Amino acid sequence: MAGVDLINLSKAYGDTEVLHDINLSIADGEFIVFVGPSGCGKSTLLRMIAGLEKVTGGDLMIGDARANDLSPRKRNIAMVFQSYALYPQMTVAENMGFSLSLERRPKDEIAKKVQEAAETLKLGPYLDRKPGQLSGGQRQRVAIGRAIVRQPQVFLLDEPLSNLDAALRSETRVEISELHQRMKTTMIYVTHDQVEAMTMADRIVVLNGGYIEQVGGPMELYNTPATEFVAGFIGSPKMNFIKGRFAEAVGAKTLGVRPEHFTIGSGDNSWEGRVTLVERLGHDTILYVKVPDAGVLTVSLNGQHQQQVGDIVHLRPKAEFIHKFNDSGRPIAA
Amino acid sequence: MTRWLLLFILGVIAILMVSPLILTVFTSLKPTTELVNPPWAPPVNLTFEHYVRVWTEGGFSRYFFNTLVISTVDAVVMIVIASLAAYAMVFMEFRFKLLLQILFLIGLMIPVTAIVLPLFQIVRGFGLLNTHLGVILADLALAVSVFVFMFSSYFVGVPKALHEAARIDGATEFQIYRRVVMPIATPAVVTTALLEFLWSWNDLLLRLLLMTRDEMRTLSVGLLNFQGTMTRDVTGLSSGTVIMAIPVVLLFLFFQRHFVRGMTAGAVK
Repeated sequence: MAGVDLINLSKAYGDTEVLHDINLSIADGEFIVFVGPSGCGKSTLLRMIAGLEKVTGGDLMIGDARANDLSPRKRNIAMVFQSYALYPQMTVAENMGFSLSLERRPKDEIAKKVQEAAETLKLGPYLDRKPGQLSGGQRQRVAIGRAIVRQPQVFLLDEPLSNLDAALRSETRVEISELHQRMKTTMIYVTHDQVEAMTMADRIVVLNGGYIEQVGGPMELYNTPATEFVAGFIGSPKMNFIKGRFAEAVGAKTLGVRPEHFTIGSGDNSWEGRVTLVERLGHDTILYVKVPDAGVLTVSLNGQHQQQVGDIVHLRPKAEFIHKFNDSGRPIAA
Repeated sequence: MTRWLLLFILGVIAILMVSPLILTVFTSLKPTTELVNPPWAPPVNLTFEHYVRVWTEGGFSRYFFNTLVISTVDAVVMIVIASLAAYAMVFMEFRFKLLLQILFLIGLMIPVTAIVLPLFQIVRGFGLLNTHLGVILADLALAVSVFVFMFSSYFVGVPKALHEAARIDGATEFQIYRRVVMPIATPAVVTTALLEFLWSWNDLLLRLLLMTRDEMRTLSVGLLNFQGTMTRDVTGLSSGTVIMAIPVVLLFLFFQRHFVRGMTAGAVK
């Protein structure tokens, strides 16, 4: 096991720099998630750690060794790909044992390690099948198994759940978290899904446009976002951003209110609006309310509520949870 | 109605295509006395005497062996060199890659007949005239561009992630080529083997030019023995043609499914 340090790391394709001056220290055994919108550089950063993309600036340390110029096989890492990338001509057992067979390990040792990994991942009955005969979820487990068998220093996972359906995704999410707790190996996980990031990570790295916006625990990012971008990216449904007179009234350029931080009820400081859409989820009711000078605001109410489309409601943001941002999208201290 | 019209047209085309072969088979099985009958008349008294004559007196047993050796070596070596070159072109980054790709492309465009004289001089310069090796090297050099192109189009369809996964698993480039990429390239391998074997088997020009000694000759050159300036041994020519065609037809029938898959590789996603 080992930690990973990124020191002033950058990546450029020709004259175009896509990752700028990345500094990050990942502790040994930590589960860290890179999250951000498409094109933010999160997969490129992961591939640089894997050795699949060349580092064009700065230092990449895996454990105590500088890994900038090491080939992937010398980095002692394992990677799970979005597309599974299983070898179609090999059986599940051969796929999982491939890396060990390349190291010319004894056959009985390979079989034992494959068997252990298969038991952990409930793949025992499928060891003799080819990937083409497995479901998406089983294939993803084989890909994870292939990584486990190597007992690497660092696990890299590149959007491993994005090809699975919603039910299987949440199931596999739990399995990966349990696996991390059991193995205590450093895991670096890339996703664009902030729910995955929030539920799995010890720490989240939010990337945007090739820069790190913020690094912190899930609740830290949720409660004290360092930028307007992070505030909008973390949390579902996403934070409401209100400009104009409502923001100016509290001395901000932009006012941020999370949907769950509104209450409904009239009063001096309430905002009057008309309900344009209602989503009833059972445990929550989500209202879309058009408020003059603020636009359409998303309001998440705990439990079941009776509001209908067209109703007039009065929204009141909870003062202690309001986020205020300045011109450059930075928070204004309370 | 359209269906029947289509069937009729296809039927006519099929008859036109297959009739020379049938006439050849008929002629090869007729006793010499029946040659006065129309060529489309089936043999009345079947005989294999011409096959025996061609195989023994005509020297076809030797020619057959020569052709088999050259074609087999051609096909096997072509699979190895073309797939290795295509692997490098598709999966590896190196200097002058573009230049090499352009050279291969030029190789596709040059007709053999245009360079046959310099080729003859090169083979003679290396002292390889009248050797199987000379013909094999010339065959490989002239056709390698086609098969590098074919393997490349197949390898482009192999997901990049598969190559990357193997690199992370600790495989060297050669291990990825041998254990990951080639096992899933069966259609391309079969197509290359068949096409190169077929081209080599049927080629006349290079064999006529580079191998003048009788014991080195191949079947296509051997057929010329049955044709003089003024006369023609029709039964010998027919039997020789059938002997030459049988292995190729059998191979094609056996591997037809793979062959079609290889030829259409990359056509659709």
